[in-house]
Amino acid sequence: MFGDYEAQRHWMELTIHLPTRQWYTYDLQYWGLDYPPLTAYASWLCGIVGSWIDPSWVALDDSRGVETPGSKVFMRSSVLALDTLIYVPALFMFTRVWQGTRSSRTQNLALLLLLFQPALTIIDFGHFQYNSVMLGFTLFSMNFFAIGQELVGAVFFVLSLGFKQMALYYAPAIGTYLLAKCLYLGPTEGTKLFIRLGIVTSASFVILFLPWLPPFAPLRAILNPITRIFPFNRGLFEDKVANFWCATNVVLKWRLWATQSVLVKLSTALTALGFLPAVATLLFSGYRLRVWSTTEAPAESDKKDDDKAPVTPATPAAPTPILPLLPYALLTSSLSFFLFSFQVHEKTILVPLLPMTLLLSGSSPDEQTFELGMLMNNVAMFSMWPLLKRDGQGIQYVALLILWNKLIGYNPFRAARSSYLKLLSLAVYAACFAVHLAELFISPPARLPDIFPVLNVLVSTPVFALVWLWSIKRGVEVSWAIGGLGSRSKAPASSHKRPLPASASSLPLPADRQSEQHWSPDGATALRAGGLRTMSLGYAQARQRKALGRSGSVDIH
Amino acid sequence: MTKTDWDILIASTCLKLLLFPAYRSTDFEVHRNWLAITHSLPISKWYYDTTSEWTLDYPPFFAYFEKLLSIPAYFVDPRIVDLNNLNYDSWSVIAYQRTTVIVTELVLGAAVLKFIRGAENPAMQRIISASLFLHPGFLIVDHIHFQYNGFMFGILLWSILMARNDRKLASGFLFAVLLNFKHIYLYLAPAYFIYLLRSYCLSPSYTLLPGRFLSLANVVILTFLASLGPFLLMGQLPQLLSRLFPFTRGLNHAYWAPNVWALVTALDRVLLKVVSRGQLAGIAVNEFGVASTSRGLVGDTVFAVLPTVKPIHTFAITVAFQTIYMGKLWMNTSYKSFVTALTLCGFTSYMFGWHVHEKAILLVLVPLSLLAAEDNEYFRTFEIASVAGIFSLFPLLFTPAETLTKIIYSVLWVIFVLRPIHRQVYQFPRSFPFVVIDVLERLYLACFPLLQIFVTVFPLLTKRTTPVDGTSDHADAADTGVSALKFLPLMVTSVYCAIGLVWAFIRLSVIYLARQD
Repeated sequence: MFGDYEAQRHWMELTIHLPTRQWYTYDLQYWGLDYPPLTAYASWLCGIVGSWIDPSWVALDDSRGVETPGSKVFMRSSVLALDTLIYVPALFMFTRVWQGTRSSRTQNLALLLLLFQPALTIIDFGHFQYNSVMLGFTLFSMNFFAIGQELVGAVFFVLSLGFKQMALYYAPAIGTYLLAKCLYLGPTEGTKLFIRLGIVTSASFVILFLPWLPPFAPLRAILNPITRIFPFNRGLFEDKVANFWCATNVVLKWRLWATQSVLVKLSTALTALGFLPAVATLLFSGYRLRVWSTTEAPAESDKKDDDKAPVTPATPAAPTPILPLLPYALLTSSLSFFLFSFQVHEKTILVPLLPMTLLLSGSSPDEQTFELGMLMNNVAMFSMWPLLKRDGQGIQYVALLILWNKLIGYNPFRAARSSYLKLLSLAVYAACFAVHLAELFISPPARLPDIFPVLNVLVSTPVFALVWLWSIKRGVEVSWAIGGLGSRSKAPASSHKRPLPASASSLPLPADRQSEQHWSPDGATALRAGGLRTMSLGYAQARQRKALGRSGSVDIH
Repeated sequence: MTKTDWDILIASTCLKLLLFPAYRSTDFEVHRNWLAITHSLPISKWYYDTTSEWTLDYPPFFAYFEKLLSIPAYFVDPRIVDLNNLNYDSWSVIAYQRTTVIVTELVLGAAVLKFIRGAENPAMQRIISASLFLHPGFLIVDHIHFQYNGFMFGILLWSILMARNDRKLASGFLFAVLLNFKHIYLYLAPAYFIYLLRSYCLSPSYTLLPGRFLSLANVVILTFLASLGPFLLMGQLPQLLSRLFPFTRGLNHAYWAPNVWALVTALDRVLLKVVSRGQLAGIAVNEFGVASTSRGLVGDTVFAVLPTVKPIHTFAITVAFQTIYMGKLWMNTSYKSFVTALTLCGFTSYMFGWHVHEKAILLVLVPLSLLAAEDNEYFRTFEIASVAGIFSLFPLLFTPAETLTKIIYSVLWVIFVLRPIHRQVYQFPRSFPFVVIDVLERLYLACFPLLQIFVTVFPLLTKRTTPVDGTSDHADAADTGVSALKFLPLMVTSVYCAIGLVWAFIRLSVIYLARQD
């Protein structure tokens, strides 16, 4: 009967009335807590505020199913408040840090694009969840990686994991990035960073789970949250979800062919295979670009101070050249989880959607990234249609999609410049419309009651798979561009460590066309000659600009 | 239409779509019932039907309009137009009725768009036009509360536009049509009457131009015949008029519309407190008045201390004030003078009328918007009237879910409309008294956020202080205190907005009467 709304409300009721140790054990049949502790803590905080306003909203047991107008406003405001506190600042920082080379007007446009992302809006504020908090924490960790604060970034990622286990989809990319960074820094600095990261990460986890650990509880108490957070005893997939298993299930009846345990292993293996390219690219690039190479190390310690400055918390060190790989790695990794892993929900598309939208926000309208980013966003909304329809959010679905596409100035059916991608996306949009129209006017045949959700899956899955493949391809390209593939050239070290970031250089305004030539070595040299010691994604440049007092005044029309 | 116009149209339409599931007042059922009446009954029974308590009480053109809307409604869902299907609120009827509001509001959109071409300052007029189309008043009253004001103000603006473009016959015709849609626009009729008579029917040397006079008279009479004719033939005119003008209501509406009477009523409450403490012995207290208005119920307002106001008094005061402005309009029939007089006509009725509803403030705000960018004085009047007027509409939506929507939308509107005009026209006051007034006005406007905080937080605080245990039935002793406190935010809102609106009224009157242009 109830859904995520009642679950979240129930957790508030649970956490403010019961001692911590009972949180993961109390009446599990009724929407028992199955998110990590940070969600529980947040619920506790919200619950206290709620009970201050009206205790009956969160009275233990008595408040089950409470949906008074006042309590609804309170619950929805709590989403809005957490979103404003965490996700919005994270996005703001993202546009400033990752897109530091762009004019502040373009940065604000990117911020607007990110803020109005329809899929997250409709799930968080319509369906009711707190995904933006988890995504915001991950975004913060990306931002701190970009300014060379790996330790702070790692803590934020732990917070993200501690809020919602779905952040695990990012874990391979984040973990590998940090490992690659250690490799890049070399045996001494790298090992130091590695040990620090290990300590900080484990300490953060321990603090998060402290109430279930000795001396506050017997050791086996930790099993309660763990078993709740990772349910291994459910099926391969439940509802219709646009991933590999559900899509191929149309022809291959997986559950008849293999037992549960085989399927689990298979899906794990496929998932790992899916994110392997991202992992490999990152590690390889980190190793290739290492600053501890014997021939150059002494010289560099004098000249190229920025790149290898020891990571100290006080002064943000320069970012690594492998940073531009991170969004692609996040995309590859999260999409491989979405497509191949076990027990995926349709809402989980929000996780891969974040890195794709970040890339989209840094692209110009005539780029592949833009077309694909818009396609994936629109199709993600489409893939959640069965859920939204159940919620009664049809009108919101239409309105938000139109608003967002209009805001960006994207017309799905305008084929200004025909390319294979444009044709493909046209075909996909046509298919989406056809499915919607058919659903509106034709009632499903009795033999195939699920025909429309299945069609939805069949349209959406290839798009997600395409984005996954594209992200791998782009990862390799970027890695090549920053000099991480192929044989290490004997050119001066500077050519390796002056990467031209993929997203920063792709400004959407015609005035910046010349910077699209970021693959050409000439452009790179020119920029270097111009004294722009570009760190990744122009962070340093932005600082430079600020120092000159010109920040915010660059307005390109 | 430029690209920006399309963007505004699409974005606002999407926003209105998102408001489909929002709170609906009983007006929603009123209009549904009228759809059912006009669809399922012959025209002779329209003004007699009492199946629902929400009987048809708008003029015939609106009934015809509902009849027109009921035809597609039948195909959308036949149960919408079923007379006995009271309080029908399925998704189909909500979507259908809300859609009709959005679609008919395009009349307003078209009218304000037409205003841009040929305006003295097209850039400013563009902002004003957009501000009218996106007015929070329409969002609150039409798209949430549910009415068709956007459509009807579209006709009014169209009529004003015709006056601007010197097509006065068309202007008069459109106003006659409008009167037959909703008779509340009678408030504005004096200004139209004087304006058309003086500038259209009379020559500058006060000689009657018979051709013009007859054509105008014919147009108006024919319009009224088209509207009232069928009912005249059936001999139902008295019944129709009794529906349109029920004289059985009190001085104030449930929530005091922020006009002069709200201030007078508040003064009476204060005096009552003083008198009952015995500080002013010798003043008779009307016992009926003691219990009268503190509860905020619909009914006759009887003052406890002050002399009681009767409908005839309010009528006399209204006419007296309007006569002054009409005198000025008679002397100066320029377009600007006409719009100002029109605004003042509506403003007077709002200030002194009997049983004024807070929604009637739109009658002031819409024509006043057209004058917003004239100069600093007009702009400041517009600023105060708009902020106070829009805020006074907030209590219409008392449900918690709409609170954020109405506040955020109105704040955005204020920022995007008032700031650019302010930048364009602001002048620092010339002499010291005007500096003081300027500062006080700014202070008044700056206090609205505080008022909103008070209105939001106050119920929470009083709820905290009352004992929690007796949730179902309070003790009687606490009840009177609590219910009086319950209405305190409403009263404070009403009084605070009334101060601003009365001040805006005085400002506009002075500007209009003192200026020679």
